[in-house]
Amino acid sequence: MNFKHKYFFLFPGLFVLIGILIFPIIFVVRLSLSGWNSYNPGLDYIGLENYIRLFTDDPRFWESFFRLSFLSVTTVILQYVIGFALAHMVWKDIKFKRFFRVLFLVPMMTTPVIMTVIWRTFFHESLGPVNDLLSVFGVAPKWLTDPVIAKFTVIIVEVWQWTPFMFLLLLAGLLSLPKEPFLAAAIDGASPVRKFIYVTFPLMAPISIGAIIIRLIEASKIMDTVYVLTSGGPGTSTETSSFYIFIKGLREFQMGYAASMSFTYLIIMIISLTIIAKVLTKVLLKE
Amino acid sequence: MDLVANNLSYKPDDQYHLNEVSFNFKEGNLYTILGRTLSGKTTLLKTIAGLLTPDSGEIEFDGKNFLKIPVWERNVAMVYQQFINYPHLNVFENIAFPLKQRKIDQSIINEKVMDALKSVGLLGYENRKIQELSGGQQQRVSLARSLVKNAKILLLDEPLVNLDYKLREQLREEFKNLFSKGLADETILIYSTTDPRETMELNGEVIVLDEGKVLQVGPAKEIFENPNSLKVAEISNDPPMNIIEAKISDNQIRFEGIDVEAPQHLSKLTEDGLKIGLRSSDIELNENGHEFEVELAEISGSETLLHLKRGDTKIIVSIEEVLNFKIHDKVKINFKIDRAYAFHADGKLASSPFGGLNG
Repeated sequence: MNFKHKYFFLFPGLFVLIGILIFPIIFVVRLSLSGWNSYNPGLDYIGLENYIRLFTDDPRFWESFFRLSFLSVTTVILQYVIGFALAHMVWKDIKFKRFFRVLFLVPMMTTPVIMTVIWRTFFHESLGPVNDLLSVFGVAPKWLTDPVIAKFTVIIVEVWQWTPFMFLLLLAGLLSLPKEPFLAAAIDGASPVRKFIYVTFPLMAPISIGAIIIRLIEASKIMDTVYVLTSGGPGTSTETSSFYIFIKGLREFQMGYAASMSFTYLIIMIISLTIIAKVLTKVLLKE
Repeated sequence: MDLVANNLSYKPDDQYHLNEVSFNFKEGNLYTILGRTLSGKTTLLKTIAGLLTPDSGEIEFDGKNFLKIPVWERNVAMVYQQFINYPHLNVFENIAFPLKQRKIDQSIINEKVMDALKSVGLLGYENRKIQELSGGQQQRVSLARSLVKNAKILLLDEPLVNLDYKLREQLREEFKNLFSKGLADETILIYSTTDPRETMELNGEVIVLDEGKVLQVGPAKEIFENPNSLKVAEISNDPPMNIIEAKISDNQIRFEGIDVEAPQHLSKLTEDGLKIGLRSSDIELNENGHEFEVELAEISGSETLLHLKRGDTKIIVSIEEVLNFKIHDKVKINFKIDRAYAFHADGKLASSPFGGLNG
């Protein structure tokens, strides 16, 4: 075999990869070393000034980052637990199995931005149906304007929107499990609960890790929900990293500074997700 | 503690998987369920284990209604024909699994698992992953798993069928040793198989099952010597018993232009539609015998199976040595006619050389 022409055939793919992935990353790194802003648009060179500012003089970025960590970890855990429960429910032979399988996927088929607008209407403090209902009990939580409650509103909406995806991955996983260990477990005297703990859950571990990592990556980009629901407010209490970077870069046009934040954020995410994946593998697969 | 079943029926589609099956199994005994594939053996075992609920009928164990007890509380153990283990656990954890389901001290678990490993000859493998074992070893693990819990009912569903010839011989030997080692003292052992030879070797009480129906029950020797019908004769012999349509008159068995003197136990049967049954091992090559044509000659192990034909009559002869024949060769054979069976036209046994229904 002669592989002389292999680069020719690899080129189209490589070209796309370079165009949409490698070039932007390199450009962001270069941009982060410049002072590009609305007064001074241009790729000048100011050294590490942006990074020094980020690490010494911008607590808002770090606050938004820890807020993001909290939001994404909480939402993913909730999505995993609820998604697993729903998937386990329709995995067995129950009545209207097909109906429920489709029903649980409906949120995924909606447009997130539009659904968030609807949620915002739902949670409206004086006009929304939620508080209308709760007024019966004499309470009217400030769903969108209390700094603490607003975080939970974001979590509720995120969980509603993305649990179906988790459900889908976990149901696919459950359906691909071998049947035999379950037969054996029943005979070996495992009650349904113990069967879940000792057979279903460990067998699902590899799929669970994959699903959790995929959802963590997705969840760490939370942006549209926050944008529509609270715009990061009240104050900065629901502001996440991506939303803050968006404000700095595309609202205030501090392109150079936003680029340095993006790049820092990318590095932190790569490191932390790798660590999380390792830890999950160790805990769940005992390897 | 007896295991009693009454009229178990199970019909999930338009065919009976179990058809009015009744039995009375006593503790300390070995029962072999013999039947061809799809005869309902696995269904019966699964029903006893509790993995299937029959449409009608009852099972009682120790005087209690067994069908009302969920699988995980039945205290049965089962070995499947596929090697079923837990892929996410190692050998030790696999065998310890049934014990971990009860509140048992870890040190006792260790001891019992090691004992079980020893009895199936897998000592030293306890930390291996299941996937790293061969088929025979995997089946030993599942056997050990079923032994370790000291279940009152031990079900073995064709445990040797997916193993290669050599391993099968070896494991069968080990099974026999295990069963005879007093393990069965208070256990009801139920073993299902398609292999008549296995049935004879295990030498327990045999239940012949076909299309979900019990055809005959009795000790292995009795089934072998006096099969009560053509079907049982076919199922309990491998290769199946040769069936020859013949007529008996003037003390002669006549078929395809051959006259053979009828032995005493057959001489009085003169009815029409009589079928003569003769085992493939009861026919021998003989220079002065009757001429047949070879249709196929297969060598299996150390014996040769000859498929022969004369007119419309086809028979199989097994010869205890390796011989080469070509298709259409002519061979001469002799019948050990005093070992012949006779069946009525409806398939019922008419007369056997071992004295069943002499007449």
